Amino acid sequence: MERLPWLRRGFAPVLCVLLVLLAQVADSYTQYIVNLALIYVVIGVGLNFLLGYAGQFAFAHAALMGIGAYTTALLTSRLYWSFWLCLPLSGVVAAALGALGALPAMRMKRVYLALVTLAFAQLVVWVLVNWNVVTLGTDGVDVPAPMLFGWRVKGDTSVFYVVLPCTALMYWLAKRILESRIGRAFVTIRENEIVARCNGINVARTKTVVFALSAFYAGIGGSLYALTLGFIVPDAFGLSQLVLHFSIVVLGGLLSLSGAAIGAVVLTALPELLRDLQALQEIIYGLVLMVVILVMPQGIAGLLKRWGVLPREVLARNWRALARETP
Amino acid sequence: MNLVTLLVAGLANGSLYALVALGLVLIYKTHDLVNFAHGEILMAGGFIGFTAYQTMHLPYPVAFLLAIALGGLLGAVIELVAFRRVADQHHITLAMVTVGLSVFMKGIARVPFGTDIYTFPPAFSADRITLGSAVIAPQHLLTIGIAALLTLLLFLFFRYTTLGKQMRATQQNITGARLVGINTGRVFSSTWSLAAALGAGAGVLAAPLSLLYPDMGTNFLLKGFAAAVLGGFESVPGAIIGGFLVGIIEMLFGGYVSTAFQQVSAFFIIIVILFIRPNGLFGRRAVARV
Amino acid sequence: MNAPLLDARDVTVRFGGLIAVDAVSLAIPEREIRGLIGPNGAGKTTFFNAISGLVPHGGAALRFDGRDMLHLPAHRRAAAGMRRTFQSVQLVPQFTVLENVLVGMHTGIADNPAASVLGLPGGNRGELGAQRAVIEVLEFLGIGETLLQRVNQLTFAQQRYVEIARAIVGRPKLLMLDEPAAGLSPGDVKMLDALLRRLRDEWGMTILLVEHVLSLVLEISDRVTVLDNGRMIAEGSPAEVADDPAVKTAYLGNENV
Repeated sequence: MERLPWLRRGFAPVLCVLLVLLAQVADSYTQYIVNLALIYVVIGVGLNFLLGYAGQFAFAHAALMGIGAYTTALLTSRLYWSFWLCLPLSGVVAAALGALGALPAMRMKRVYLALVTLAFAQLVVWVLVNWNVVTLGTDGVDVPAPMLFGWRVKGDTSVFYVVLPCTALMYWLAKRILESRIGRAFVTIRENEIVARCNGINVARTKTVVFALSAFYAGIGGSLYALTLGFIVPDAFGLSQLVLHFSIVVLGGLLSLSGAAIGAVVLTALPELLRDLQALQEIIYGLVLMVVILVMPQGIAGLLKRWGVLPREVLARNWRALARETP
Repeated sequence: MNLVTLLVAGLANGSLYALVALGLVLIYKTHDLVNFAHGEILMAGGFIGFTAYQTMHLPYPVAFLLAIALGGLLGAVIELVAFRRVADQHHITLAMVTVGLSVFMKGIARVPFGTDIYTFPPAFSADRITLGSAVIAPQHLLTIGIAALLTLLLFLFFRYTTLGKQMRATQQNITGARLVGINTGRVFSSTWSLAAALGAGAGVLAAPLSLLYPDMGTNFLLKGFAAAVLGGFESVPGAIIGGFLVGIIEMLFGGYVSTAFQQVSAFFIIIVILFIRPNGLFGRRAVARV
Repeated sequence: MNAPLLDARDVTVRFGGLIAVDAVSLAIPEREIRGLIGPNGAGKTTFFNAISGLVPHGGAALRFDGRDMLHLPAHRRAAAGMRRTFQSVQLVPQFTVLENVLVGMHTGIADNPAASVLGLPGGNRGELGAQRAVIEVLEFLGIGETLLQRVNQLTFAQQRYVEIARAIVGRPKLLMLDEPAAGLSPGDVKMLDALLRRLRDEWGMTILLVEHVLSLVLEISDRVTVLDNGRMIAEGSPAEVADDPAVKTAYLGNENV
């Protein structure tokens, strides 16, 4: 693809058009899977900021997704707020809580941060289960279909037309952020905080930004997830959700934006492909995860980049123009 | 609830958490890796013990030793197959291999055992002991006793055997250990063996206290992790004390505050403790180097 | 005479009971190359880290470029125009040279983050200017062709130059080099020597240099400061320092020169 620039530039729009065409013919179930995959692109990209780029070993992503989902579900169903307000608000609420993760990240060693965020995640699920007065506990919450200019967003195809632009926008934003000095600061603190400080990077601020940003993506993803499922329960945001998020990022490729997207698609599709093998689903899932990581530690994206199928990712704007002018 | 009853039950659970924490700490110290499949090793130990004791009707001590032996073997195999080649990879990548392993092992366990929940009878049917108003289950005492014995053996192993000393040396400085001719490959597989054997032993002890099912490992992993962090994650005595603390905190919250809060009380306490003491109760301050 | 660019007074670093740097005072005027030497364990790197703001330290004063730095964190000192390299090269291995050197422009890019991310008009002016600066500095260092290579594919000497490029790309007033010649071939050391002179003469940079390769220090330094056991034992021109009996016993004597 590196040698075919037109293919690279046209790829994203063509993919969107293809997805829209697919939406015309797809049955409801296929469409639902597509929607889920798109949501997991947002989730995966969000986690990759934190885990891949900034190298922060934190485990709160599933819980933050749950916070986003519950913010939307509760405000729309119980207070009748507009979904269109709740969608960004879910991101902001998750970001505000997620930013708190920067506090332990500044003071503690890696494993401690892992445990504190894991403990936080357990506490969130516990609150969702036990604070029934507000969250309705294990009964779950119905999410009403939102209205858009008199059109009711109901059914998987309608939801798709909400999810696709959101995912596209979030992906584009992620690319723009990573290609700025902010993105480079993330990777620098992952690599060596001392170097970061000696180059004028405020480590505390950068960590706060990356925790908040990652959580914002989780919150938006959660809100869209609530819309897509139409009904959510606390258990959906527990450890298996977290394992899925980590699998997406690591299998797709840490330090790669397209990797998170590839991981999201593969890991949404894989369980569906294994549907008939219910009994073996976990075995194959676990095995695939282990084997893929052992065989290609850089993830699928790393392998595809080495083959020249995926374009290089350089965290600088317009670097291709520089490549053309410097021999 | 009676305080003594709660304390004994807390110590029993706590000694299991301590065994899990010990396994986590051992692997972390040699591999710089959190083994997220450790809960499943415990689960495997529980099922091995169950099969030997209930299905094959072997005597309890034999079943227990069999679980420990097979657990140790399992650990060595995992190290050899999964970690020998990729030991230098990024720690997140390595951690993900253990996550994959955890999902895989749960899947394997579901093939023979399905989604049922099994009960593992106590090792011996003795009456509950009453001490004043306190009621103590014999199984609790047995658990505490065996866990203490295993820990003691571990200390002796590290102190007096050549392999134990080599393992400590490797934990401190892997390059140095290689330079003086220690076979670090053997040390790695022994570490995994030892950690897994402790985990499997904990599984047999845990089965009568909790229940036996393929997902049982998660709770023990989380509590063991919490215990290890509380103890500083680098220290063996720290892990043991951390385990006891988590077990007791949990029971006291369950008994006096709310049973709903019991499951997460330990996490709550740990978040608070780590904010006050960012390196755990017994952890030393990390020194940053340029 | 103008006030010195860097004026450190009684800088002291304690690690527990150990005094690693004991009341060292150092004043470097602008456009000077200052060598900092001393035997192993003399506290040179610790002193460097103290000036950079990486280790907590005490001191009567630390003025840099007319500003008080004593209580500023490392990133603020770097932003004020104090940059450094490390004993062992510290780059992001997966990054290209371009990205690595752009890190040095972090505070030099004044773009409004929102405008930059959203691609508003003018939002990338700083970023694009920074990229120009990177190309310029790489060409100055003679490694322009490595721009889009990953640093883990470069030779060791090239990696050193990339690190220097990152330190100087933002045109800092003070460049602090921690053993830049370590691991370089004699030929490379000669080039480094010429490079440092050009940085002083053409860019007007002030350089503080910790170095083990004595020939390099004594040849290019305008003045040399000698540390031993955390204390300053001598300061003067390279010739004066080389003749100083205290230096000979403490430092040169040890190495049988």
